[in-house]
Amino acid sequence: MDVTEAVASRRSIRAFKDQPVDRAVLTRVLEKAQNSPSGGNTQPWNAVMLAGAELAKLLAKVAEVIPQGLAAYSPEYNIYPPELEGAYAARRFGVGEAMYAALDIPREDKASRLKWFGRNFQAFGAPVLMLVHTPRYMGPPQWSDMGMWLQTVMLLLREEGLDSCAQEAWAVYTKQIRECVDIPDDHIFFCGLAIGHGDRDQVINQFPVPRAPLDEVVRWQGF
Amino acid sequence: MSKSTTVSQAVLSRRSIRAFTDQPVPLDLIRQIMDTARWAPSGCNFQPWEGAILTGEPLRQLQAKMQASQPQDPKEYSWSDPEVLPECLARLQQVGADMYTALHVERADKAGRADFMARNVVSFDAPAVLMVYFPRVMGSPQWSDVGMWLQTIMLLLREHGLDSCPQEFLSMYSKVIKDFLGVSDESHIFFCGIAIGYQDEEDPVNHFDRKREPLDGKIQFLGFE
Repeated sequence: MDVTEAVASRRSIRAFKDQPVDRAVLTRVLEKAQNSPSGGNTQPWNAVMLAGAELAKLLAKVAEVIPQGLAAYSPEYNIYPPELEGAYAARRFGVGEAMYAALDIPREDKASRLKWFGRNFQAFGAPVLMLVHTPRYMGPPQWSDMGMWLQTVMLLLREEGLDSCAQEAWAVYTKQIRECVDIPDDHIFFCGLAIGHGDRDQVINQFPVPRAPLDEVVRWQGF
Repeated sequence: MSKSTTVSQAVLSRRSIRAFTDQPVPLDLIRQIMDTARWAPSGCNFQPWEGAILTGEPLRQLQAKMQASQPQDPKEYSWSDPEVLPECLARLQQVGADMYTALHVERADKAGRADFMARNVVSFDAPAVLMVYFPRVMGSPQWSDVGMWLQTIMLLLREHGLDSCPQEFLSMYSKVIKDFLGVSDESHIFFCGIAIGYQDEEDPVNHFDRKREPLDGKIQFLGFE
């Protein structure tokens, strides 16, 4: 698959088929992704790949505490900047509204929206969940390095015919994640990445996701 | 270098290029790449990236201003202080050692090393440079989003036979760059430059071996058959 097709066909997939993913494929992807760049060659990314009974154990543990609502949340970082303005504030809600519009769930129907949000914590039915962590002493530029690696993984997964969904939502259940998998205390848990074969026929995998026009993002000088 | 069409080829052939030819980068092509890169993911779809792409006379003017300036103190942000990145210091030193070996610059040759470092300011003579900045309110997860966008750009460049070098180095001249571009220093942080062009395949600096950690120790597999 060429890069353009991988970039254009990658989207956050929120419904997966019940079809396992071969560990050998994941190893191949991760081996290649080691060639991602990082400032000073720091390579700050670390991950736990969960499948089968180990994944089921985490999903069950989190399902137990979901009814507690916000009281069970234990994120180790701010997922959203506390003060967003202008175009950025508008973008935050655009994708949610587009998704719920596609699902035909109005704003008033909080119960249905909450139920869909809860599907995050089933990894949207994906057979594999990657949990990403990094040493706490890593600063913002090393988080950028992690992002470069994550996108490399996501594009290589497309090439293997696989789909993914990057899920910062998992950060709210860091405590439960730490109870299930061995993430060192001196590491911070960043995000999950659901991995599997996307069910692209589902409405939730088809709604158009907005992007800012190019001239809002980049300017040109000297061409 | 030839085009790396597939994702795998692009990932494996991408490396930091530190010597470019003077072949210009066509605007149509770079626009197409930047347009496609808009589809990079970001948490909550913030798309927290902003940038300016310079070439020709404006790029030369900005580089002249940087050359006439001192690296700023305090820094725009901390790159990777060796004191706080003990496990990473060795990797950083290894890249430096491998690079200078390829260039035949001795460890004791401080002037030779300084000359090469100074080539960062002119982005290794790349014909175009993407200057990357974004609002200061963005936190670590949004820096990750910016990274996803940057790697998308670097891989798309490979698909079209172009090369790149991400340069956190340029943040030493953040205020000069923002002033030149008319970007507010109060509201925006400058992150890095991305040198863009066609690599000089003859130059040994583009060929030394890059080391990467083995997967074991970085990645655990649990629950797989």
